Amino acid sequence: MTATRNRESILVISGLHKRYNEGKSNEVHALRGVDLIVKRGDMMAIMGPSGCGKTTLLNMIGHLDRRSEGKIVIDNIDTATLSDGKMTAFRRDKIGFIFQLFNLFPFLSAVENVETPLLLKGMKAGVAREQAKMLLRELGMGDRLYHLPSELSGGQQQRVAIARALITEPAIILGDEPTGDLHSATSAEIMKLFRRINRINQQTLVLVTHSRWIAEHCDYIVHMSDGKISRLEQGPFKAEEEN
Amino acid sequence: MGIKSSFMIAARSLLRRKTKNLSAILAVTLGVTLLVGIQITTDTLENSFMTSLLQRQGEVDFRVSNSTTGGYLTSADAENISALVPNAVGIMPELSTDAPVMLGSQFDDSVEMAGIPTDFPEAFGSFYDWKTGDKLNLNALLASNSSILLSSSQAEKLGLTKEATLPLKLTTEFTNLTATVQTPPTVPLANWTVNANTTSAQYVLNSSSPYLSLTVVPVNFTGIVTLYTINCPRLGLSNYDYINVTAAGSNNTLVVLGFSMDDGSTLTVANLTNIETLNTTQFDLSPYSERTLRGDAFLAIMSANGTQAEIEISEIKFESSTPIITYTPTTERVDLQVVGIFDSKRPGIGSQYRGIVFKLEHLQQWMSLQDPQQKTDIIKAYLVALKTDHFTSEISRDYLQEQVDMFKAVTPETVDPATGNTRKIFRVQSYRLTFFSIAEMVMTLLSTMLTALGLLIMITGVLLITNVQLMNVEDREFQTGVLRAVGENRRGITQSMLIENVFQGILGGIFGLFGGLVFGQAVASYLVSLFGTGQFSVQPVVSQQVVVLSVLIGVALGIITGILPALRASRVNIVEALRGIKVAFEEKSGRNLALFGVLAIVAGCFVLLINGVFDKTCEGIWVAEGWNTLQEWRNILIGAGLLFAGVGIVLSRFISRVKALNFTAIAIWAIPVFLFVVAMGEWIPDITGLAPDILIIGVMEIVIGSVLLVSVNLPPAMKALRSVLVKIKGLKGVGQIAPALISSHKTRSTLTFAIFAVILTLNVTVATLVPTNLSSIIETEQDSRGVDIIVTLNKPVANIANVSYVEELYKLDSHIIDVIGFKTYASRTDYQRYAALNNPYSSAFNPQTDMLPIGYGELRKEQIRGNASDAEWRYNFYLSSFPDGVAQPPADEVTDGELTEMSKQAWEMFFDPSYRMAAYNVSLAKLMSDERDLSDLDLTSFSGYSGRELEGVDVLRYENGTVIKNPIVFTDSFILPMGLQVWIPMNTSEYGLPVYQAFTIAGRLDSQRAGGFPLSSFSLLSGDEFNIMDALGKLYLPEYWANQTSFLAEADGVTSISKAPNQFNQFLIKTSYDMDDPRIQSIAQAIMNFTNTNDEGYRGLVGDNFYVASATVLYSKIEQSLEMIQRVVSFLQIYVTFGLVIGTVGMAVISIRNVSERKREIGMMRAIGFPRTQVMLSVLLELVVLGIIGLAIGVVNGVLISVGFANMQGATLVIPWNDLGVYLGIITVIAIAAGAIPGWFASRIPPAEALRYVG
Ligand SMILES: Nc1ncnc2c1ncn2[C@@H]1O[C@H](COP(=O)(O)OP(=O)(O)OP(=O)(O)O)[C@@H](O)[C@H]1O
Ligand SMILES: [Mg+2]
Repeated sequence: MTATRNRESILVISGLHKRYNEGKSNEVHALRGVDLIVKRGDMMAIMGPSGCGKTTLLNMIGHLDRRSEGKIVIDNIDTATLSDGKMTAFRRDKIGFIFQLFNLFPFLSAVENVETPLLLKGMKAGVAREQAKMLLRELGMGDRLYHLPSELSGGQQQRVAIARALITEPAIILGDEPTGDLHSATSAEIMKLFRRINRINQQTLVLVTHSRWIAEHCDYIVHMSDGKISRLEQGPFKAEEEN
Repeated sequence: MGIKSSFMIAARSLLRRKTKNLSAILAVTLGVTLLVGIQITTDTLENSFMTSLLQRQGEVDFRVSNSTTGGYLTSADAENISALVPNAVGIMPELSTDAPVMLGSQFDDSVEMAGIPTDFPEAFGSFYDWKTGDKLNLNALLASNSSILLSSSQAEKLGLTKEATLPLKLTTEFTNLTATVQTPPTVPLANWTVNANTTSAQYVLNSSSPYLSLTVVPVNFTGIVTLYTINCPRLGLSNYDYINVTAAGSNNTLVVLGFSMDDGSTLTVANLTNIETLNTTQFDLSPYSERTLRGDAFLAIMSANGTQAEIEISEIKFESSTPIITYTPTTERVDLQVVGIFDSKRPGIGSQYRGIVFKLEHLQQWMSLQDPQQKTDIIKAYLVALKTDHFTSEISRDYLQEQVDMFKAVTPETVDPATGNTRKIFRVQSYRLTFFSIAEMVMTLLSTMLTALGLLIMITGVLLITNVQLMNVEDREFQTGVLRAVGENRRGITQSMLIENVFQGILGGIFGLFGGLVFGQAVASYLVSLFGTGQFSVQPVVSQQVVVLSVLIGVALGIITGILPALRASRVNIVEALRGIKVAFEEKSGRNLALFGVLAIVAGCFVLLINGVFDKTCEGIWVAEGWNTLQEWRNILIGAGLLFAGVGIVLSRFISRVKALNFTAIAIWAIPVFLFVVAMGEWIPDITGLAPDILIIGVMEIVIGSVLLVSVNLPPAMKALRSVLVKIKGLKGVGQIAPALISSHKTRSTLTFAIFAVILTLNVTVATLVPTNLSSIIETEQDSRGVDIIVTLNKPVANIANVSYVEELYKLDSHIIDVIGFKTYASRTDYQRYAALNNPYSSAFNPQTDMLPIGYGELRKEQIRGNASDAEWRYNFYLSSFPDGVAQPPADEVTDGELTEMSKQAWEMFFDPSYRMAAYNVSLAKLMSDERDLSDLDLTSFSGYSGRELEGVDVLRYENGTVIKNPIVFTDSFILPMGLQVWIPMNTSEYGLPVYQAFTIAGRLDSQRAGGFPLSSFSLLSGDEFNIMDALGKLYLPEYWANQTSFLAEADGVTSISKAPNQFNQFLIKTSYDMDDPRIQSIAQAIMNFTNTNDEGYRGLVGDNFYVASATVLYSKIEQSLEMIQRVVSFLQIYVTFGLVIGTVGMAVISIRNVSERKREIGMMRAIGFPRTQVMLSVLLELVVLGIIGLAIGVVNGVLISVGFANMQGATLVIPWNDLGVYLGIITVIAIAAGAIPGWFASRIPPAEALRYVG
């Protein structure tokens, strides 16, 4: 990968700590001083043993939870300066989530789940519906548009979750085991999609994964253990086989 | 897995899932609170109504009095009576009367006065000071004969407060008799006329002076001169012992003197007696004591020797050996001192007296003034207590009845010297028994409504518990799936859930029990204000069995509704449960369901056919008459409900379920709506005995139908809502989430708005009841141009030249446009002015049972008809019964217009002095006998118009067969039957005896209808003491006959009670204001100020400070007459408000539960960029939408049901939108708060944390 040179940083994390149940007897120090710089257009993988703090880190980046200490700058904005309302709008516009446990709205159909972020941005309902359908079709879900999540397989739910994260074309996409439930063929297809949007739209991807195979599709791998970044592994790991 | 692990799972899930457990416990708590609270409320209502009546009797179980009306007992009877009631714990003499009193400017024309011994038995309780609550020492306080105790309720009536400084001067009037020795009646000596036929001598007659002188110059020895007079007194001879004649004249005069008797025979006093014998002999009348003189006398004079004979009679006198004394009653004004005010709302002897209490000897002294013999040993009744402390434990009704019957049985008999009949020496009366039956009557009426409402409200409790418990279904199913996946068996799962639910149920049950008790206490304190009884007197009634049952039901319900899903869940497919796939909503019914539908159809048809086929008392539905009784409608409602439910189920096998259910819902809703809106007004003439089950079935079907309808159409409705919302900027996200949420939890949403639909339906119905009633009364009142104020003076206006009370009233306020004055009279003590129900001249007349202490009034033509030139009548007095010959329209339902016409015809007859109406063979049985009981009264005659009362009743005839016809009187009494013959004592003959005239009661003034007669104040249910005088009403005489009486006549000063032409004492006043205008009240106040201020206004004008006017605004009287309805409605209000409160709290619980369950979704929303406001809005919108649906269903249904009630009463429906606005406001605020608060908290949780939340 050569593209990293001279590109601006989209995400700068320094001295990030997270303690759960702070001050209580069951305090867990989940992040113990994380420093990380991610450049725009990076495709980064985070790996590490279970419980090392990967999800926690992702939540911190997405501002789904309060940090205990440290600084996060996204797109040159110190997020500590943002109000909750601004932060919500910021998250809506700049960040897409793919959760470990999909987290789809169980009472909304696939297409409704996907179009919701567009509606939140104020898009016309009809336009939003069309875009959502297009994206879902692209993800091979064209025949499951109106199914409720409970009527979809795990992999299908995952694809809906991915579509929902991608639909607003956010600058950063955070994926917590985004292909966890998918069998290898589909995984490969998803990774192809990720790579494509990464290339075309310069969207930054941060993917937590257990799979070495997936990690090796990224530009570089951040290894975590015990709430710290223990090692950084630079790519390319594979030839540009996709092309 | 064993029970131990089940316990562990249960314990863990109880500890962890706090919100869910709390909400389940809360739901059971609220439900049980409702069940227990409603039960306690019903019991407390019944009990406080009962005690509010019974309390007036203190500890008295029955009273023993003289069996002769108006007779007294003496102190000697005490022993006899106590021998007859061995079970008495206390017996106490009481003397009672009533009299007008004045305190300051306050006046009450009839205040109970009681004299009791100061050492009355302890069993009767004690008097307590109103202010301090201390026991009063009667002996010390009532030392002087002018010292009295005042009851707190009378004190309040007289405008006193607890802070009043004692002693206070209170003025009253006692009757005092002035004795005058009667001068013996004489035969007038003027105007004797010669009977030429039997005269055969020359004569010189002078019969114009105080002497009757006659000189006879005979032609031969047989010459005779005969004289007669018709001016002789018509005298009953029983009072007189002999006749004395004083005469002078020649020795040769022979005198014949005789009187005609009432039977045509002759009483010969002198038969050829010479003057000396005539002068010296007293003619003995004792053989004739039963006889009455006819009024004519004759005198014949002869000469004994053929020469001129002379006689000069100076006196023919009827004398008695003891002088005849007549007594004239005069009213003596007496100033009394109020030395203490006792609390008459406190159970015990205090509650027994509502007026004034004297020491027995003192009242005896005062009352002896009206007795010719001045007897002081008089006792009105002996009060008997069979037990103490009635308030805390009421006497058993059966036991009391038994004791009363026993007393009657053992009472000795005596022979009445007057009639020769035997009679019991004592009369025993138990007002307590009477009150028991009144309470029973009212409570059966009330219970109907209370049971109906209570049941419906309890259903909301059931809905609430079910709803919250059903919320657990989904996550229970997930949990079960997991447990089963790790190898837990079904029993284990069921066990652990059972344990969890039992725990929730019991905890909820305990809290609910407390909630219910607290509510019961609150109701009790509210009832204190409602009944106006003292704080000591209303206690919540907690019947143990009922409460235990309610708690059990609530707890069982909580457990069952909790367990059912568990049972179901334990059977579900593990994989399906884990995946959370719901059982797909079948589009068409299965075969089993269709079979069930067919069964329902068959059952429905069967029930419909009961009418007319199986139950012959009902007509079949295929004829019009089959739809006109409520009994028939009961089967129609049930049958049609089953039929259409079945049809819907069967249909859904062929068409889509949504369409089929829509059909069913509309049908089930429409049938009772039809009953309420159409049938109740037009087809069903008689709605008496509206059974609660019909009401419940009707309301239930309306609610079920409407809820089902909305529920079935919820998804399309929500789709529509979404499509609207996603077009609105800022609400797009909300629009995406909230409607989808609502339709995704259809059962839950339906139950939630159903709770409100039920409660609001009831609320709207109840809230509409009173205004609808009130408005219907006001409407008729406006139409009839009714009076606005009734002024009653304590005595007729003064007869002073140039001072006219009526004119003064006109001067008071220019808005007074008409003052109709008239005279009334009621004799309190003078038995000779009571009406007679049997011919008083006949031997069958029994003064003990045939005298009625009724009052009289005069109604003049100009008071009603107005002047002949007036186009409109002055006042449309409606009648509810009419004289013979009034043209009556064919139908039973008479319009107001027709009624006015009929009334006018009747009034024309009334004012026609020559009109006579036949008397009918009706009687008021046993009214005045000692068997008298309220249950003897015909309460159906309360109801307004009854046209042909006398159809089929025989007319009375004289012995010769001619029909007895009398002049007519009208009455406002509901006791006196139409067509009854009554004798009214018109005046007193010269010799002190009443002269009676027979009348036929030919019309009843409609006192129930506004625009009818506003003066009759009797209201059985107003909670006032039952007063026979008030209950009796009055007899109204037309001017012609009133003028023949001594008490209403336009004669000045003939007797102490006669009146000058315009000496009115009651006034009906019309104003130019609308009848509900509050300014009328100020006019009434002005009238009272004008009359009741010492030395000023009217008192100043006539120089008499004992004038008191009470001015009643008719509108307030109408409101009062609605008091019972209002009271009932207040009862009902308690219920529905209780339901509303619980419902709203339940809504909050559901909402909190909702939000806690949606934590994860809220986290998601936040994660993908929902701002907090939109998160909250989504939560809110769900509740608001459900609230509005519930509200809409409730208002629509409530109004429809109210239309039914209004139709039933022929009233125009008035919907109190303001009150409804309050409900609407409460619901909206609570719904918003219930959603907003937990929503706000949830939206503040960091999304990551919310997302971690797993069920
Ligand atoms: N809400 C919380 N409260 C307390 N401790 C928490 C919380 N969330 C996470 N932890 C703890 O923080 C540590 C990091 O958790 P995190 O979810 O980030 O792990 P992870 O690396 O994503 O693991 P995995 O690969 O299994 O998903 C763990 O030890 C976990 O127990
Ligand atoms: Mg993780």
